[in-house]
Amino acid sequence: MAAQAESPGGIEFSNVTKRFVSPTGAVMTAIRDVNLSVKPGEFCAVVGPTGCGKSTTLTLAAGLDRPSAGTVRVSGKPVEGITKGASFVFQTDALLPWKSVLANVALGATFRGLPKKQAYDMARSWLTTVGLSGFEHHYPHQLSGGMRKRVALAAALMNEPTLLLMDEPFSALDVQTRAIMSNELLAMWDKLKPTVLFVTHDLEEAIALADKVAVITAGPGTIKAIFEVDLPRPRGAVQEIRFERRFLELYQQIWEALREEVSRAYSRITAPGAGAAA
Amino acid sequence: MNAEASAPAGKAGAAAAGSDAAPLAALARAQARRRKAQVRAAQAATVVFILGTWEILSRVGVIDPFFFGSPLGIVSRLADWAVHGTAYGSLWLQIWVTIEEAVLGFLVGVVLGVACGVTLGEVPFLADVFAPFIKAVNALPRIVLGSIFIMWLGLGLASKVMLAAVLVFFVVFFNAFQGVRSVDRNFVANARILGATRLQVVRHVVIPSAMTWIIASLHVALGLAIIGAIVGEFLGSQYGLGLVIATAQNTFDANGVFAAMLIIGVLAVSAEAAMEVLEKRLLAWRPPSASDTNVKGI
Repeated sequence: MAAQAESPGGIEFSNVTKRFVSPTGAVMTAIRDVNLSVKPGEFCAVVGPTGCGKSTTLTLAAGLDRPSAGTVRVSGKPVEGITKGASFVFQTDALLPWKSVLANVALGATFRGLPKKQAYDMARSWLTTVGLSGFEHHYPHQLSGGMRKRVALAAALMNEPTLLLMDEPFSALDVQTRAIMSNELLAMWDKLKPTVLFVTHDLEEAIALADKVAVITAGPGTIKAIFEVDLPRPRGAVQEIRFERRFLELYQQIWEALREEVSRAYSRITAPGAGAAA
Repeated sequence: MNAEASAPAGKAGAAAAGSDAAPLAALARAQARRRKAQVRAAQAATVVFILGTWEILSRVGVIDPFFFGSPLGIVSRLADWAVHGTAYGSLWLQIWVTIEEAVLGFLVGVVLGVACGVTLGEVPFLADVFAPFIKAVNALPRIVLGSIFIMWLGLGLASKVMLAAVLVFFVVFFNAFQGVRSVDRNFVANARILGATRLQVVRHVVIPSAMTWIIASLHVALGLAIIGAIVGEFLGSQYGLGLVIATAQNTFDANGVFAAMLIIGVLAVSAEAAMEVLEKRLLAWRPPSASDTNVKGI
């Protein structure tokens, strides 16, 4: 297993804790003693209640932030600085509104110093892959939410990442668009096989997409349980797989684990005093 | 263009509207044209009314033309300047000198303002260190610096450019600083993950994002640059519209003061128009705002 984690894209969290300290000295522990390992090419979903530090795991894996304790390894090496070979897809789009769609997709290549023409040619072919040829010279605000998400996906995949970090990428989309995007994500993952760490609060989405689902406890988050999703691949349309027996069994199992955390997080929000006592 | 681009469905919708669309559009355009013509006519009438009243009242002696001038007097003073020149050479020279000072001061102030604003916005340590000093200097009535600059740099171009630049600098600086501070953190995080160096982040993310704020300040800054140039000329100079006004004031030539004011007004309005063109170009990526899409009203 150690050997696997060393090939490109594998993630290894060992006893990772992240605390945020405000200038006034207030300490907020986002995640505590997280242990999680994702094999190269594996699709791992992370589910948990609101505010449990799901996104923190992504920023740590991306190298945007350092753990307060423990180590995060990507491709076998401890994360220092921005993780090489990682791409990030945000919940709200991070497309630059002042750049055309084409320039946005080519951004990573431009930063790496590729000649402009080459970068743009590559970007153009990726736009075709996500079904957006003809929209190269539009600005992001001229596209619909689903189209912007495709652009973000093209921009993320053009770097040929070994590690794809996704922070509730489809949560802002309407249900139909979301289903379409999920299918396309699976198709592209199948082709490129990057390791995926996919944060979501939607359990259905997690099971339909992932090889394994990690459930995080109400904050400070720690891994409560990890479930292998043994549904066969290719999965086909995510809209249909959720009616299969095995899917429902898994759903029930994981929901059992998740429900407690969700209600704990909820009671903490609605009645802070009671939550602290529990 | 936007409507077409934003959704392919839009095109289908327009096609479905089909037969009604063309006459409706023509009607709407005709209405808009008519309204515009009406507004223009009313504006012209207002100007004629005010100038006419002024002229008549000064002719019959209700207001004293010696102190208040008269529209025809102003026009003849302008014509006189244009033909015979002012006391300090041709009128065009005076206008050119003032424009030169204002434009140079504007450019220097904008460049320095943006550079300092972005630097301090990007480096919080520097911002914390310099904040009290900048606030102190900003609280000063900066017009009085004009006297110092004229003592230092003499009666020529440099002292006016300096004064205009100082006025411009602070407005642009504060906006650039605020703009940099309010950059979307996601944009920066994304760029860093995509492999951007710090300078690349500044160039591709921070500055374009702050540009909205900077551009907003440029309108005010342009006015201040002209004020700086004119006040500088007031305080001491050899050429320029400010000097022309100062001379007219000293000789109780009300028509002369108004005539110079008129020229400055025309300059300011043209500069503002040029600024709008620049703004449209630099901010072409912005979605049309609510005020642009409103059809009626101001």
